[in-house]
Amino acid sequence: MAAAKGLFAKCQLFKWNIQAISAGIFQNGMAIYPSFYIDPIFRKEVQQELVQSGEIDQYAHLPTKPAANNQTCSLTFDPDISLFTNYLMRDGRKNFARQLVEKSLEQVKRIQLEKFHKCTSEEDKAKIELDPKVIFHRAVTNSMPLLQLMPVKRGGVKYQVPVPVSHHRSRFLGMKWLIEASREKDKKTVRFWTQLARELVDASNNSGRVIRRKQDLHRQCEANKAYAHYRWS
Amino acid sequence: MMRKIGIAFRPHNLLNIQNWLLSSRKILEIRTLSAQASSTTEIGSIDTGAPVENGDSKKNLSKAMKAYLDRAREHDEFMNAQRVEFEIGKRHLANMMGENPETFTQADIDNAIEYLFPSGLYQKHARPIMKPPEEVFPQRKAAEFDETGRPYHFLFYTGRSNFYQVLYDVVEHINEMYKFEDSMTRKNLQPDPMLKLNLSGTEWIAKSALEFRVVETVSDREYNTFVTAMDRLSNMPFAYKVKDFIMEYRVSLMNQSETYDAIKPQIREDGRESVTVYECRRKRAIGNVTVISPGTGKITINGQGISYFEGIQEREQILFPLIFSNMQNKVDIEAEMQNGGPSGQAGAIRYGISWALRSFVDQETMESMRLAGLLTFDIRVRERKKPGQAGARRKFTWKKR
Amino acid sequence: MLKATAYLFLKHSTHRAIPTRYLTAAAELQQDERLQSFRTQEADPSKHSKDHLAQFYTIPLSDRNVLFQHGGLPKTFQQHIKTFNETCLMVREPAVDIINCLKSIDYDKPAVRFVLYGKNGTGKSISLAHVLHYAFKNKFLIVHVPWVGDFMRHCKDSSNSETREGFIDLNINAAAWLLHFRTQNAELLKNPDLKISRDIQWTKRESTAKDSSILELIEHGINRMRFASDCVNILAEEIKLLSNAGICKTLVAIDGFNEFFYPTTKVYTEKKEIVHPNKITLTEGFLNLTKFDWKNAAVIVTVDEMTVKVHEEGTDPSMSHFPRFLLGKHGFEHLDPFLPVNVPLFSKKEHESIMDYFRERRWVRPYPGQDEELYFLSGGNPFTLLDYCKSL
Repeated sequence: MAAAKGLFAKCQLFKWNIQAISAGIFQNGMAIYPSFYIDPIFRKEVQQELVQSGEIDQYAHLPTKPAANNQTCSLTFDPDISLFTNYLMRDGRKNFARQLVEKSLEQVKRIQLEKFHKCTSEEDKAKIELDPKVIFHRAVTNSMPLLQLMPVKRGGVKYQVPVPVSHHRSRFLGMKWLIEASREKDKKTVRFWTQLARELVDASNNSGRVIRRKQDLHRQCEANKAYAHYRWS
Repeated sequence: MMRKIGIAFRPHNLLNIQNWLLSSRKILEIRTLSAQASSTTEIGSIDTGAPVENGDSKKNLSKAMKAYLDRAREHDEFMNAQRVEFEIGKRHLANMMGENPETFTQADIDNAIEYLFPSGLYQKHARPIMKPPEEVFPQRKAAEFDETGRPYHFLFYTGRSNFYQVLYDVVEHINEMYKFEDSMTRKNLQPDPMLKLNLSGTEWIAKSALEFRVVETVSDREYNTFVTAMDRLSNMPFAYKVKDFIMEYRVSLMNQSETYDAIKPQIREDGRESVTVYECRRKRAIGNVTVISPGTGKITINGQGISYFEGIQEREQILFPLIFSNMQNKVDIEAEMQNGGPSGQAGAIRYGISWALRSFVDQETMESMRLAGLLTFDIRVRERKKPGQAGARRKFTWKKR
Repeated sequence: MLKATAYLFLKHSTHRAIPTRYLTAAAELQQDERLQSFRTQEADPSKHSKDHLAQFYTIPLSDRNVLFQHGGLPKTFQQHIKTFNETCLMVREPAVDIINCLKSIDYDKPAVRFVLYGKNGTGKSISLAHVLHYAFKNKFLIVHVPWVGDFMRHCKDSSNSETREGFIDLNINAAAWLLHFRTQNAELLKNPDLKISRDIQWTKRESTAKDSSILELIEHGINRMRFASDCVNILAEEIKLLSNAGICKTLVAIDGFNEFFYPTTKVYTEKKEIVHPNKITLTEGFLNLTKFDWKNAAVIVTVDEMTVKVHEEGTDPSMSHFPRFLLGKHGFEHLDPFLPVNVPLFSKKEHESIMDYFRERRWVRPYPGQDEELYFLSGGNPFTLLDYCKSL
């Protein structure tokens, strides 16, 4: 009975939803929830940290948004890889994008294990990183640019002005470049995930196409240093 | 969604009921009560009722003051009349319901009205009510200046003296705090951590509530100023010294009691307990989910095992509430789903499992599940396509000519 | 190259310590004990019994090079072999049951036929490989078709048959299969007693004489691809005669047998029409071998859902993994009576065993609760489990 009552309340919400639509009020994903709804804290370790620091009391009276489709408390969940999958996804085919990423991580493992088995000494073996997610994080961190060029129009001329880049934008650029570099390949013989694996391993070693692209950008920013004041003009 | 909107009064509701109640009885003589028990606002020490005595020198009264007095008197008379009517009506109502008029509380009145005047209106404050006149009719301010025209309140010329009085008080307290802090620093004393002001579970009173309290209109900007000032005061290290003042303007947040109201398990034929959540939804998917305890971690969806879902994301979603509450090997799950796609069905099952698991789990875990977003119903649906646009948001290609 | 891999194989397949950065001192001891529990040192399949269930045994490199040079192990498994530097199979009940049966059947009676069946990804091909290894060790003459789909769906070329009207020859595939046969049975074919029973006239000028070695027949088929398909059929007959005579004992192992009866193939005539397997010469040879009219032999066959899934769009609700459905009427009548052997999903013990193996091989990073989570997610299906371990 309580379940039915609770559900009726939910359906009321549902009905309100329809009313909102018909009234021409647009919704946007999670934005349908009012602003005082907090983002869900779905990681167990994060919740435990909050309990220990005592901050969890502030959330006791605040309603939460529902956890998204790809969020779990499982230790296999990685928010950066999840983000990368989203950037890779086309036409909403999340499962396919995820398969590509997982296959490329598998390929990374194979590349690393090959190196591992070739090594003779224990020291050399200890240096080789076998965790594909660690390699992925290293690759992304190494690919993140510090500055980017923004076109600024002054006196009829568009100058490329070096501008510091925010963390989010930088991370997005790093991941996007990795994806773009993986797409530039021999379409007939090489699979996307193989190329992506190679790019990840290269980038984690600070070499390869993506790092070169980042360094080119940095060099151009350095060259255009003179225009930096055009930011404020 | 849960915040109370300010009381909107519906005088016609009140009047109709009272008329109905009184029509069966003779209206008693309305006695004018003394103006001292009047409708002037009382917020702490902001404004006291201006004593009015008819025997004062009328020659010195300004026109404005005269108008004030007249209006005040009328309002008082009206309020008194309403109060008497309310009392009488209350006694009649009690008699009608067969209750004792002496011990008839407001809650009883509400129940009686709901019974006698059932309403199907969705908006609660549009339904018939019977409340004391103070709650129904808006409070009015008393005379703000004396017969010579001299205002009583020092902030009268701001136009909103009560509101600015509040801000003034805040600033006064802040200055006091600064002095106190300095004196403590000189003595090398720290604020007592035990006494630290705990504002969790409360929030600042809403703008409408503040308006009601100060009997003045408050704009959004002014309200934000108020909140900023109060925040600044409450963030000071020795804020606990003015705790009473601060708590006057705090309102407790909603209680998550609905979350803790778990479904009572039913006993099955084989002696195990089970909870069924009916109509679990996500997008278009709908179905029932049954959680059986004690179990071994067996899962059945539409007669198949977990292989019903091909993608890993869907399977992970079903696993999520189970590993979060550490009940993975302790319960069995049976789900029947229709409509929707794999993602929607998986989301619906996840919600169903979470909702049902509350019955087998303690309150602490329930609270952590709520924080994890497992117990919130996901109302997101596919947005419709609009005419004149290519999709829900996408517009047709803009062509210059 | 072989020496290096052999060295690595020796180095890694024996008991070795897990690096301490993963473990505390106390847990290290426990890990070593579990390490031993998922591996067995018994490399001879004849000695595998219920005691070895859920344990991994290593196929020696020499055996592997002979047996699986040209196929026999699934593609994903081959990649794993390359990465792990060793060929390890799990000892599971279906294979052990078949091996026990093979040890105890009376070879004077007509050939016994086993059918391995199970859902997609449960390990039918691997079980077959295990039995093949047993046969190899016990000096069976092995007739092994690694994947019938190679003939029906990935045929390299097709031509009209010269000897039969309306039939299609798959030359390259047949020749490749003969090569595979020769590699697998290299040792046994050296036996001079394996002789052909009659004269075979290929063309006016080419012929193979009676009482010449079978090896010559095979060589002819490999060298002259034109006659490879017919060579296969004749070889089938000869093998039956030899087995009946008691000169050799044979094991016929065919993976994806139901493809011989599935009407849709990717083999086309010149007119771009689909060819039914009945009209392919190779089919006849293998169907001949799977009959029960000969002795001193055993037949093991797998039936596969993927055959049907690949051709049908979407999942047919009437789809089933059982032999009766997959073989169809003709196939069932051909194989009846047979011994069905179910290849089940992983049990918890087998699941733990394979997870231990992956952790030891550094394929998977351990974390608390990993086994339970993966068992739930994969539903006990081995192939799905491999899939989910990709990114761990």
